[in-house]
This record gives sequence, structure tokens and C-alpha cells, in this order.
Amino acid sequence: MATILLVEDNEMNRDMLSRRLTRNGYEVLLAVDGQQGVDLATSRRPDLILMDMSLPVLDGWEATRRVKAAPETAAIPVIALTAHAMEQDREAAMAAGCDEFDTKPVELPRLLGKIRALLGEEG
Amino acid sequence: MDGEAAQQDGDACPYDPGGLGREATLLRATLENMAQGVAMYDASYRLVTWNQLFREYLDMPDEFFDNAHTFQDYIRYLGARGEFGDQVDIEAVLARRLAQLDHSHRFERTRPDGTILEVRRDPVPGGGFIAIYTDITERKLAEMKLREDEEQLRAVDAAAPVGLVIIDRASHLIRHLNGGMSRLIGREAATLAGRPVEAMFADPDKGRELWDILAGPPVERREFILPGPDGAPIWTMVAHGDLDFRGEPAIIATFVDITDRVQMEQQLREAKEAAESASQVKSAFLANMSHELRTPLNAIIGYSEILSEDAADNGDTAMVADLDKIQAAGKHLLGLINDILDLSKIEAGRMDVYLEQVFLNRTVDEVRTIVGPMMEKNGNRFVIDCPLDLGSLRTDVTKLKQSLINLLSNAAKFTKGGQVSLSVTRRQEGEVGTVRFEVRDTGIGMTEEQIGRLFQAFTQADSSTTRNFGGTGLGLTITKHFVAMLGGTITVSSVPGEGSVFAIELPAEAAEAPPAEAPVIDGGAPVEAGAITVLVVDDDPAVHEVLAATLGKEGYVLRHARDGIDALDIMRRDPPDIVTLDVMMPKIDGWSVLGIMKSEPELAHIPVIMLTIVDDRNLGYALGASEYMTKPIDRQRLLGLIHKFTPGEEGGQVLVVDDDPDVRAMVRAAIEDGGLHAAEAGNGREALVWLGAHPLPSLVLLDLMMPVMDGFAFLSEVRANSAYADLPIVVLTAKELTESERSYLAQNTLLILNKSAQPIGTLGAALSAIAGRSRGVGGKSAAGKAAPGGAG
Repeated sequence: MATILLVEDNEMNRDMLSRRLTRNGYEVLLAVDGQQGVDLATSRRPDLILMDMSLPVLDGWEATRRVKAAPETAAIPVIALTAHAMEQDREAAMAAGCDEFDTKPVELPRLLGKIRALLGEEG
Repeated sequence: MDGEAAQQDGDACPYDPGGLGREATLLRATLENMAQGVAMYDASYRLVTWNQLFREYLDMPDEFFDNAHTFQDYIRYLGARGEFGDQVDIEAVLARRLAQLDHSHRFERTRPDGTILEVRRDPVPGGGFIAIYTDITERKLAEMKLREDEEQLRAVDAAAPVGLVIIDRASHLIRHLNGGMSRLIGREAATLAGRPVEAMFADPDKGRELWDILAGPPVERREFILPGPDGAPIWTMVAHGDLDFRGEPAIIATFVDITDRVQMEQQLREAKEAAESASQVKSAFLANMSHELRTPLNAIIGYSEILSEDAADNGDTAMVADLDKIQAAGKHLLGLINDILDLSKIEAGRMDVYLEQVFLNRTVDEVRTIVGPMMEKNGNRFVIDCPLDLGSLRTDVTKLKQSLINLLSNAAKFTKGGQVSLSVTRRQEGEVGTVRFEVRDTGIGMTEEQIGRLFQAFTQADSSTTRNFGGTGLGLTITKHFVAMLGGTITVSSVPGEGSVFAIELPAEAAEAPPAEAPVIDGGAPVEAGAITVLVVDDDPAVHEVLAATLGKEGYVLRHARDGIDALDIMRRDPPDIVTLDVMMPKIDGWSVLGIMKSEPELAHIPVIMLTIVDDRNLGYALGASEYMTKPIDRQRLLGLIHKFTPGEEGGQVLVVDDDPDVRAMVRAAIEDGGLHAAEAGNGREALVWLGAHPLPSLVLLDLMMPVMDGFAFLSEVRANSAYADLPIVVLTAKELTESERSYLAQNTLLILNKSAQPIGTLGAALSAIAGRSRGVGGKSAAGKAAPGGAG
């Protein structure tokens, strides 16, 4: 069972997405800010990270950069989640090292498709 | 008396007592030819000689011309006739006239009929006098007219609501200044006439400024601010021209007060600015608000989805239906918010256009995926006609996709159980290529009037459909704006009850970027101190354009080379801070350029970004690699490979070529575990040296990115030497374009971007990161390779 780290400060979003991911057979780790996200990524080595970009303490871009800079976590795919459905946001997220990008509100089938592709799972 | 008058008119002169005959005749002729009335009186004031004009002027009865009537008789007669006015004392007039007769005198008299006579009387020697009457009516009238005209002019000059100044061209002296001008500047004309133009204002600079305008070529109009009487500025429109004033060259200038207009303009401008800033505030508010609205919506949509899934699991279909309605409403609201956000950005001019090469088939496929379910929902057949060889166009893919989705979802919405088709065609007219996207449906269609309202915000032909997903009424408005931003047009035709056709035509090359054919080599632009220079090496002009547009905006100074040879020339002449290198190029390819760069000390340190659509794997094979392995290295696979190439050999040797000692150590361990010996080389050059000095190894494990000589250059050398023809080489390299590669690149200031997968716009961020680092480290040491982080 693949483990997904969900870094999201909004309680409702965190709750919804974690429940739906769990329902789809993933083990979900939760972090409420960027720093916690980086810490959990390092200590638990999830298979994939879902990273909100507007986060307290450490924002999603910086958290992603740190995850990607550390050799032990660099290989973990990161999907940026942002409410700004803008091309610049996508590019900024990619520049920070994210492997994928998705907008909120989450369209679960679409997000699941991206997760599966990055985890190398069959559709 | 008639007789006498007749006699006088006839042949003889009535006054010829001396019988002077001929002389008298001459005198008579002279008198009659005079243009004046003449009368002569003798010493006793009897009228003795006259001419015809005299009779006409005074209109006297014949009996007075009998040589017996006296001056007194005439005056009395004329007076009685009212010649001197109605109620005058004739005797007093006569007394006055008589008193004047002893000396020459002259006066003017206006007769009752309006004619004006000038009367002149001169005494003659020996007594008597001569009176000469001249009709000066015309002259008098002309004089009067002239005087009136002059007064009129003077009044106009004084009263005209326009300032007028006449200035002598040579001396700058004010020749004339009218009342209007004097009122404008609050100075009396008299105090300024004859003074230099500079004296017109308290501030001599102001006067000089005016003179500069007036001395210049006559222009239609020019604005000039006059200091008013109270010092407040008066905006005037000045016009001036040449004038010959009393024989001297002069300048005539008029000043029209336009203060009201200027102030009105200013108020308008302020109002406009206020409106614009209000509009920006509105847009910013909308953008923020949209964000705030999305967060709770997110929860509404998400939880209703979760509940709907739960309900479905529990078999509660009624609940599922209700929850789906909540979800659909939430999505509708979300679509509305997104559209409003788009529209407010368009209105605020903050909608940016990102141009890139867009592949038509791929884009159409993506659109099909999105609109497919909408088509099914209304039972429509969706037909796509997009030939596979359509190629690409340069445009903003997001806006193009959204426009197509808007048109197609509309078509799907207004068509039930019919057909919707999307056809894409390309047309080339000379240099200009266009791509046409046509969306045709067999739906309800529209009337002329509905078409007229079509592109207005918040209007829909059928308002009852707004409950459908996406039906915000803003879609077409946004689409129209998008298409315009991309330099295209949108057209519509429709027949009610039969269907509609919407067509978008876009230029194959959306304008906005620099000229299509960028100069091959641009060594010219002066380099700003501190600016980072980027040498773009690519044979595709589009790449030059995109980079110029994106990087130029960021303050990078770009150099351009169309092939590797040019690139090397430019680099050697003036090493850039960063090079972006295409792989597939004519003459010499990117890898060769990279190899040459790494072998030249002056160029080796320059960070290079490879732009490629060829993956390393194929290139590695093409260069003669036996196998290909990706980093991070899978130990088992490595062992498997080693065994594959060293079958049954014990004690064989494997040469590990990698610049990272950690990788070499790890690989050495694996090799030794496999019962083989390992030799190490830090780069291609070292490896070549090693090969020359040792027997052929069983296998070479080769990293691609290395200093001095990289894996590609090593491969070329080895494959060119027949002695090494059978040497098995396994290439180790970072896999595709992933995180491990990125961290590898991050440490080596070398980056491989996959052109087909990565938006070229992200290059700016990558470049600044690299530039910052290479600056910080400085010079060659930046190129000195640290450990590739991917290994491990």
C-alpha cells in the first residue's frame, strides 16, 4: 500500500482529501505546515507528497525545494496543489521542483490519475 | 429775365461793359468748364458773373440772374426757402455773412437735400468778391465712412474676446496690444506699447518663452500659459503669423483663453484615472474574493462528493441524487467564479499571454477528453476532424483550449440527441498561415437578435439553461477576448432550429514576439554591467523568439547563435554567463558543442542548459553504448549487467568512469561483490589514458556528464578507435527529466530540459538559480563537479 503525505493547512481540505485517498486504498500521512511536511518526508519517506502551496511556517514552494534538495527525499514525487488556477502558479511550482501540478478544488479522478502515474501504478 | 438768362447761356457774356470780346468769351468758357460753381459780385455786392454750376448748386429762380440782384437778395431768398435751417434768424445769418466778406473765408454747408457744399469767398481788388462753391458730398461721405470704419475697428479691437499683440520682428517692441490682451494679463495697453515683448510679464523668462514661440515658424496653434491679472495661470491657445505693420516686418499673435477647456480636460482626466484605479481596485477585489470564495466551495463540493460516494456504497440512490445536485450547483458556482475572475483580469488588462508551440492533435485530444462527457450527457454524437499532419501553431495553449471548450460545451448544451463536430484546418496565404477551428452543431440555433447579444457578458440566448454546468453566460465573452488576445477572430452563423457554426481563426504565429528571423549572430548589443548574458544556441528561430521574450523581460542579455560553430566562436570571443544548447542542430550537434566546451579551460566552467527532445538513452545508444542504466543506481540491476557482459569471467576488470567518488566507491563495492576487479577514472580523458595503458577491461561503466571530457565525447573517441570496437560500455545517467536529475543539475549548474515536456517559461527561474550560483562560486569552480546527488 503506497503512502501519501498530504501537506495542507486547511482542516476541511485535509480531512476531505485524506478520507478520499484512504478510501482509494492509500495510507495517508498528514502535515499542517511546510516544516512539518519536510520533517515527515524525511522521517517517514512517503511514496508521494501532495503539497499545498500557501502554507504557514514554510510555504509549499520552499518546502518542495528542501525536499528536493535533500538526497534522501529528492526522489519522492511531489504534486503541487494550489487554488490559483494560473499558468504562472503551475510554472512556479514546477520551478520549485514539483513533479506535477493540480488545482483545487480537487477533481479526485484527475488527481488519482496523476498520483498513479507518478507511482507507476496501473490505471 | 428768362431772356437774360438765355442770353447768358447763349453766345454773349452779360458782363462785357468794356467790350473785351474775345477775352470775355475765354473767361466764360473757363467758368463753364470749372468743376465748381462760381459767382462774382461787384463792389455793391450785385451778382455780375456766374456759371451754370452755381445756378444748379443753389437752384435759384431765373429772375435773380439779371445783374441787378444782390448778395443780400440771395441770402434772404435762400434763408426764406429754408436753406439754412427751419427756424433761423435770416437777418442774423446775413449780418454774419456780410461781416466776413472783407476777407477770404471758407465754410461747409449742408443743404436740405443732403448735398454738402464747400463755400469759399475771396474779396477781389477794387471791391466785390468771388464765391466758389464745391460739391464735397462724396468726399465728405467717404471721410465719414472711413471714420466710422475706424471707430468700428477700434471697438472690435477693444472688445474682442481674443488677445491680440503686434510685435516688431526686428526690435521685439510691442507695436500694438488690444483690449482683450490687456484684460488677459491685467496690464493697460498704453503702458506696454513701444516696450519690448519681455516686459509683458512680471517674469522676464515668461516673456522670453513667448518670444521663442512667436519667433518660431508660424504654427496653427500652440498652448501657452499666461500669468493672469491675479497671478493665476491662464491657458491660452496661441496662433501667430507675419504681418507688414506700417511698413515694418512684424508678428501678429492672438491668444484665446482655453482655461475652461483645459480645466475640464483635467477634470475628465482625473475622473478617468479615478475610474481606472477604481476598476483596478475592483479587479483586485474580485481576484481576492474569488480566492476566498473558492475555499468554502472546495469544502462544499468535496464533502458532497464524499457523501455521494458513501451513499452510493450504501445503496441510497435518492440521497446520491440530492448530493449530486449540491455538487453540480457547487461546480456551477465555481465555474461562475472562475469566469468572473477571468473577465475581471481581462478588463484590468492583467491577463497575460504565454506563447508556445502548440501541437494541434495533442490539444484537440485534451479538449476531447474534457468535453466528451458533456456530449454524452445530452446524447450528442461528437465528431472530430483534425488531420494528423496539421502540425503546430504558436499561441497560448490555455486560452486556446478554454476557448474551444467554451464553444464545444455550448454546442453540447444547446444540442440534444444531435451532432456536434469540431474541424480543424490550416490555410496558408503566402507568408501568413492561419488555423481555423470550426464548431458545428445541430442544436436549437439562434435568431439574428440572439446572435447580436451573444458576446455580451451575462447574456444567454436561453436563460433557463444557466443551471447546466458552466453555463455562466460569460463563456463567449471570455472566448471573444481570448481570441482577440491571440490575434484571431471569432465568427458565428446560425439558423434557428437547425444549428449554429462558431469558427475561430488564429494566426499560426501569434504576434507579440520579436521579428521572426532573429539575427543569426548578435554580438552587438552593449552589455549592461552586471547583466547576465545568455547565449542561445538553437537552429529553431522560435526558440530564439521565446527565449528573447521570456528572458529579455527578466533583464537577461541574450546572444544568439544558430549552430554550434557560431556558438563556439561567440563563446571564445566573449564567454557568456550561461549557454542554452539545443541538441539537434546542423553542422555540429549540441553534445559535440558541449564536449568541446568542456575540453577548453576558458569555456569549461560555463553552465550549460541542454534543450533537447531527444532522450539521453537513444543518444547514448546511437553513440555506441552497449547498455543504458539510470540513476539512482539499482544495485541488483548493476550486478546483472556486469554479469551479462562478463560471462563466466573471474577476476575480470571493470572500468568505472564517473566524476563522483561516492558513485565510484558504491559501484566498486558492487563489482567486487561480484568477484571482479574495479578500476576508476574521474572523467573521459582519464579513462582514455587508462585504456591506453592497460589491457582491455571486461566492461566500462560510463557516466555521461563529467568535466574535462564527458561521456559522450569519450564514446565518440572510443568508437572511432577500432582497437576498442568490441569494448562493452554501459552508460550510467540520470533517468529522463526527474527530481534526481534536477538535484544532479542543481549541483553541477548543468540542466537538461526536455523541450517537449517542460514549459519553456520555467527556464527563467532555472536560469536565475544557476546564474546566482555561478556568480556566487565564481569562475571555473562553478563547473567543478560535485557529487551527483541522484546516486545513492
